[in-house]
Amino acid sequence: MSSPSLSRTAARLARSARRPIARHSTPTSSSRICQKSCYHSYDHPPPPGPFGTVDRSILAAAYKHIPEHGFSLRAIGLGARDAGYPDISSSILPDGQFSLIHYHLVMQRERLAEKSQELLKDASLASVNDKVAALTWERLMGNRETIHRWQEALAIMAQPSHLPTSLAELATLSDDIWFLAGDKAVDPSWYTKRAALSMVYSSSELFMTNDTSPSFLETRKFLDRRLEEVQSVGGTIASMGQWAGFTLNAGINVLRSKGVPV
Amino acid sequence: MSASSVVRSRAGLFRPASCISRTSHFFSTSRQLRESKPTPTSDRPTHFGYETVTESVKQERVAEVFTSVAESYDKMNDLMSMGIHRLWKDHFVSSLNPGATNPTGMPQRILDVAGGTGDIAFRMLQHAHVNNGNPNVHVTISDINPAMLSVGRQRSLSLPASHQSSLSFLEANAEVLPSSLKDNSLDLYTVAFGIRNFSNMPAALREAYRVLKPGGIFACMEFSKVDKYPIFNAIYKQWSFSAIPLIGQLVAGDRDSYQYLVESIERFPSQEDFRDMIADAGFAIVGKGYEDLTGGVAAIHKGIKPL
Repeated sequence: MSSPSLSRTAARLARSARRPIARHSTPTSSSRICQKSCYHSYDHPPPPGPFGTVDRSILAAAYKHIPEHGFSLRAIGLGARDAGYPDISSSILPDGQFSLIHYHLVMQRERLAEKSQELLKDASLASVNDKVAALTWERLMGNRETIHRWQEALAIMAQPSHLPTSLAELATLSDDIWFLAGDKAVDPSWYTKRAALSMVYSSSELFMTNDTSPSFLETRKFLDRRLEEVQSVGGTIASMGQWAGFTLNAGINVLRSKGVPV
Repeated sequence: MSASSVVRSRAGLFRPASCISRTSHFFSTSRQLRESKPTPTSDRPTHFGYETVTESVKQERVAEVFTSVAESYDKMNDLMSMGIHRLWKDHFVSSLNPGATNPTGMPQRILDVAGGTGDIAFRMLQHAHVNNGNPNVHVTISDINPAMLSVGRQRSLSLPASHQSSLSFLEANAEVLPSSLKDNSLDLYTVAFGIRNFSNMPAALREAYRVLKPGGIFACMEFSKVDKYPIFNAIYKQWSFSAIPLIGQLVAGDRDSYQYLVESIERFPSQEDFRDMIADAGFAIVGKGYEDLTGGVAAIHKGIKPL
């Protein structure tokens, strides 16, 4: 794996995660999804995230009230107060409590980029698949503190007005995980890998909300089983393709040997 | 404002202000230039519908328009917006969530500019006192037109006593708010369907910035652009330029005033341009800075005064 370039990008992502984004004079794009660049560039800084300085400071302060008050307006209100804002300030957030959920998603994703460098140093993670498993597990552990509130959050994320942002965030997460794991595919598997990981991640997350085992042991097993399945299904599909190609080729050759002009 | 004061209508009739009743917010209620307090830029050009006039002339003519249509406001608002303006106003107030404080019951001060008839202010009080159980929220209704304030006073008499005691009225020009409104003193500044009629919007935005506390919210609801949906936009334009003046003629007996309404909506800046004006006044913008209602027929803009 090209670890120098990977670590360089991870460092850049980490830097951007910490950089305060002053947005009050910059015109913003009308769609949040468009703000995200479509691929990871080594030569350009990533586009600014969806949060500005004011909302970032309110939501960051609200974050530590989540375990007690959930992803709620009350948590945001308490956060605004902690950050030194008057109570009315929390009404500036355009999506109410979904803003707090979105902040959690973005922050955990950015933290993953920061953490990946250290995480992937481990020599036991030889293959890309192992790295994907490690990164996915690390991201799931990002929900550890708030897992007892996560079902509420999923219900809010599934509301029609928030669903596009939630799905875009999931797609960005699986893209980031494959990128950080060093996947370089430029064939149709680019899409299937991301789709499969999105499914595996979201089902593991849902499993985790009901997991009472110590340090989420059952979730870890669940995740490993799902990733294995994806690999074995992927392997089966590849073998099927190989078999179909061989059979087709052989069939054409048989026809040619009989003098059919193909 | 005494009941015997008279306001000159567009048609040249004189009518006592007390008979202007049951008006509402759909049009702005900021309308009359008081001779005693001209704005510093009263001779600068601005627009009145599709015409170009000076700022002082605009203020006089806006005053005439609103005096002329006052009596049929409620009926006209419901007819023109098919009742949707009520939903917009309810959504506006609930999105601001006044009175939600930690701990419960902390005081909040709200200024509703161009709010003479009290549509927004009464909803604020209801939301804060009843929904959020916070009786320490105080709302000041400000309007440039004393006749409109007297209408608001009249309507406020039917409110519960606790709401009435949390309400006060202020006759003021939003571009030069009186010094009784101290710097950094308000939690929330609202203006609903009013800012379009201001002669000098940047001056009004600067005044809003001055009176708000750091962390205070500026919130504005105003007609906006439907450019994102071309087919709906065509229908909407047809409705506003053909149907609204006609309804005005038939129901209110005044075509010109409703012609002004649709022209002034057309002249108002787009969502993005108005957001940039708010940012230019010093406010911080969160997210894209506005929320479209009914595809952009109206839009809610918010800004926050940075700490």
